[in-house]
Amino acid sequence: MAVLIAGSAVRTCLGSGAETFDGLLRGACGVSPLRYGDPGQLNVAYGYHAGLDDELFRAGRLLAECLKEAVAQSGVDTETRRVAVLIGTGLRELSAVERLALTGETVSAGRLDFADVVAETLPGVTDVTTVVNACSAGGHVLALAQDLLELGECDAVVVAAADAMTRSMLAMIGRVAEEPTERVRPFDRERTGVLLGEGAAALVVVPETWDGPALGRVAATGLSCDAYHATAPDIEGIARAMSDAYTRAGRVPSEVDVVVAHATGTALNDPVECDALRKVVLGGGGNPLVTAVKGSTGHTSGSAALVNVDVALRIFASGEVPAVAGLTDPLDEGTGLRLVIGDAVAARPDLVQVNAFGFGGVNAVTLLERA
Amino acid sequence: MTGRERETRLLLTGWSLHLPGVEGFDGAPPEKAAAVLGRKGLLYKEPSTRLALCAVHRALGFEPGQRATGPIEAGTAVVACSNLGNVETVAKVTRAVEAEGGRAVSVLDAPNVSPNVVASTVALWFGFGGPNLMLCSGSTAGLAGLRMASLLLRSGRATRVVLVGAEPEDEIASILHDGPLRAGSACVILEPWREDSGHAVVDFEQGEAARTVGPGGFDVKEQWGDFYGAHGVVELALAAHLAVVEGEGRVGIGPRRPDGGPAVSVAVTDHSDEMGSP
Repeated sequence: MAVLIAGSAVRTCLGSGAETFDGLLRGACGVSPLRYGDPGQLNVAYGYHAGLDDELFRAGRLLAECLKEAVAQSGVDTETRRVAVLIGTGLRELSAVERLALTGETVSAGRLDFADVVAETLPGVTDVTTVVNACSAGGHVLALAQDLLELGECDAVVVAAADAMTRSMLAMIGRVAEEPTERVRPFDRERTGVLLGEGAAALVVVPETWDGPALGRVAATGLSCDAYHATAPDIEGIARAMSDAYTRAGRVPSEVDVVVAHATGTALNDPVECDALRKVVLGGGGNPLVTAVKGSTGHTSGSAALVNVDVALRIFASGEVPAVAGLTDPLDEGTGLRLVIGDAVAARPDLVQVNAFGFGGVNAVTLLERA
Repeated sequence: MTGRERETRLLLTGWSLHLPGVEGFDGAPPEKAAAVLGRKGLLYKEPSTRLALCAVHRALGFEPGQRATGPIEAGTAVVACSNLGNVETVAKVTRAVEAEGGRAVSVLDAPNVSPNVVASTVALWFGFGGPNLMLCSGSTAGLAGLRMASLLLRSGRATRVVLVGAEPEDEIASILHDGPLRAGSACVILEPWREDSGHAVVDFEQGEAARTVGPGGFDVKEQWGDFYGAHGVVELALAAHLAVVEGEGRVGIGPRRPDGGPAVSVAVTDHSDEMGSP
């Protein structure tokens, strides 16, 4: 059973969901000099910052804005209806742990997740679960939300995700880069690696019996774990998530019109993602347009999947598929894929695939339909 | 099978309590995990990850040093519960960068700066290719894990769920927790309810229980210490032990939660053909 999206809100370095999509259509790049940590020490000189100055609890503040906006847009009353909240995140508020390590200033362990933020933002909600699933966390909580609604356990589910940068993750990005990356260039032959972006997103997901306005329909989300490598993605695991999504949705790859790819601009992700798309989608008779957002927004980690879902909803509404910012010369593995390069393309898709993959081989692939 | 049973019961086919220093359930501490898991592959594995691996190893009934072989099990999901599993690594890496720069950091710690390392390492070690969830929801993470495990089974996303809780006891974790923390892990193996096999049933409807684990009964926190994010899984595994091995029949877990969520019990199935701890 499909479920509907009754509200959606986003924060990225480019602003709100509408501002982010407008930036994507313009080919904007929100990169700026790194604001947290020492670029020389980290070997990371740039980031995609969401405009907050204080180093601590940025993820929670971005999350609160998205929660308020999405719930208000949906009109769901969180005080009287059975509403569960599922929060996905890659890094929680681990920057507070880093401050403790450097200064001795401590916080309660309870501040590391987002239960307090939800309690303060959405009155009456007591059912809050934090799922810490790396860069596909948003896709995972969306899958669980659909399960909760299909099994009749809730009237609505607020699905949200948020991430800010941590110095320890920045250090790992810098450690594996030959030289500091200046911007994210998804699927490009000259890509030099990933940069982190701060971001948050929230969706209000409701059953198909919902009688209010809807932004789109979630046909299904497929999940898998590679069980292959601690950090490197695997085509077989990714393909299983894609196939699971199509099976659960009762759709076939030949029906997909647009793919909003994960596309981190790294040496490891992009070739494997292209191979998996060729194997499952092209191999299944599909020939979709393929776009990606991280060249404009950076890698928003746990919120990346839900940012991509919001972009997909706006593609439905606008009839425009943004080009991949930073992409000029596609990698070899992209041969045969209709990557959107240069300018946005007019389209009226009925089925959009959203990819999300994370450290540890955790994969979530969502299929969205026009409402 | 009725719809009601489908909604409220899960089969519990294995469990373990791996609690270093706890009489009756003692397990290898993280630095001696090789005694359980074998030596290969433990380099740069964090204490919480090692504890989780040990608990799963024991719940699956593996011999010491035995490794999983064969193809990836796409039907087996992992739900891991831990709040402080990687905080010491995050602190260590941050301090190393500050003192010596990024080159002082090992790339082998790259997976460890992402908190889901516990869940994903269990999948990698044992070859579990189903959905993989890491829950960090404070002291109720274990109960949330049980709910998510139930969801994965009832939605058909998995035919088996490995629910594991593990928490370390290190300097950073203890400061953040603001109180005594005890290192330990536990695991339960869950499958959809069926009539013909298994040791025990997890029942979300409270029945008449011979004993209770938790407030009003055997209080794990009071007796053994605070396992924080692993607490709920420790209670589940202990209830399974009491129900099956100690012959209590049905063991309730805690009082009804304040939010009205389901109370849980573990009971011996009517059809158990084997009554030993796995």
